[in-house]
Amino acid sequence: MSYRLSVFVLALVLPLAAAAQELRLPNAEGSVKFAVIGDTGEPSAGQIAIAKQMEAWRTKFPFKFALMMGDNLYGAETARDYEKKFAAPYKTLIDGGVQFYAALGNHDDAAQINYKQFNMNGQKYYTFKPQNGVRFFAIDSNYVDQKQIQWLDKELSASGSDWKIPFFHHPLYSSGKTHGSAELQRSLLEPVFLKYGVNVVFSGHEHFYERIKPQKGVAYFIIGSSSKLRKGDLTKSELTAYGNDSNYAFMLVEIRGDELFYQTINDKGMTLDAGSIRRAGNVEPGKDVSTQPVVPQAKPSPVQPGPKK
Amino acid sequence: MKHLVAETSYPDVGRLSMRVSPWLAIATLCSACAAPAATEKKTATDVALEQSERKTSTDPAVNPEAAALAEFKSRVDAYADIHKTLAKGEAKPQKAASPDQINDTKATLAARVQATRVNAKQGDIFTQDVQPVFRRLLAPELRGEDGRDAKAVLKDDAPAAGTVRFTVNAKFPENQPRPSVPANLLLALPALPTPLEYRIVGRHLLILDTAADLVVDYMLNAIPA
Repeated sequence: MSYRLSVFVLALVLPLAAAAQELRLPNAEGSVKFAVIGDTGEPSAGQIAIAKQMEAWRTKFPFKFALMMGDNLYGAETARDYEKKFAAPYKTLIDGGVQFYAALGNHDDAAQINYKQFNMNGQKYYTFKPQNGVRFFAIDSNYVDQKQIQWLDKELSASGSDWKIPFFHHPLYSSGKTHGSAELQRSLLEPVFLKYGVNVVFSGHEHFYERIKPQKGVAYFIIGSSSKLRKGDLTKSELTAYGNDSNYAFMLVEIRGDELFYQTINDKGMTLDAGSIRRAGNVEPGKDVSTQPVVPQAKPSPVQPGPKK
Repeated sequence: MKHLVAETSYPDVGRLSMRVSPWLAIATLCSACAAPAATEKKTATDVALEQSERKTSTDPAVNPEAAALAEFKSRVDAYADIHKTLAKGEAKPQKAASPDQINDTKATLAARVQATRVNAKQGDIFTQDVQPVFRRLLAPELRGEDGRDAKAVLKDDAPAAGTVRFTVNAKFPENQPRPSVPANLLLALPALPTPLEYRIVGRHLLILDTAADLVVDYMLNAIPA
């Protein structure tokens, strides 16, 4: 390649690469800022790379907490495993004051509910409100029994006009070949979500990233590729708004008023997906349809959306 | 008490004069306020919960299987009481623990449960009388589309073959996935008190003490072939 051509190509590529590493969130003062990671419990190079990217991006987007979608520790759970699979890779974030809020996956021992750093307070399912206007619901999707459904109904009903954001391991909608949609959990959880105007749901289990087209007015994200990756497992379907199964990934999310902004970033620090979701008006619990129409406004991503099948 | 005279207009019968007690008026208003909740449209989840309650009820007026299920419940509750008694001091899980504390507590609790239930045997909770009831409760859930989904979930999250020991007081294998229990099967079975949970491994149903990670009892071939 001639020198001139090389300069020309660089001139074209560099701005694109720089743009891919730009923060696409408003980063507004007083907004709710958090990260989302899933299936993080494998001490892999991908896990380390994602943790490093989270540290780097936190310098420009100071998120205060991170949601964990379960499968927090694969395999054995000795003290050494907690260290190797969680505390060491995320040490800088933990030391920097980031609070992690975990849900349980199918590879997690229930004893994790007592681990201080997971902030589960001895509960397999729990709710927390980091700031006014937003409430999170950690659900144990391994065991959706009568008690948990009644708990969820009660807590959602009491959450008023907050953004209501459940997170749990098994995705209710998924285009994954290995697992696919968790239809049995969906048949019980979705009616409760719709009844109380849930806005956004985060899950893991599938080792890829998928943004699902809004389902009955609810936005669903799968982010299960923060330490494990199942390349070629995502079959783009009618559910898929965007998907990526070729990169490790994590999400940055910001809620400002009635708008939620998201940016999904890979292990090289490149943006895979970004956009926003606006909720319409205040939540009115008791309706059997969501009062939160979702309007995804994804901007074009510099990375090819989804793998070719 | 003086009664107020209120004039009330009804669209069908025209204007009427009525004597209305103010307390009656307040009561009527209150019940009117409460009415929307009572008549609120039931969701599919509400219906599923109601069906679950009926199927697993220990009230003989509602459920012909009530006697066996009541006996099962009393045995499960007795285990939960033992657990509660043992989960004290060094065996009491702390809510903000270190990994060492978590594992030490669990090991202490497991050792205490194993010592206390040293004579426990298979069938102490899943008695001969209740086993056919469980099979009857599970069978319909394993048919049709939901049944296929349930079997797929059981296969999907299954621990490796031969790793789970079907022995009362045995530890659940540490390195294996914890099989998720299909939600339709859970709703067909009687709810268990904390920290007990059902697990299905292959065709077999277990009750697991999730705090001590011990097999409390098991029932072979609960799932039809």
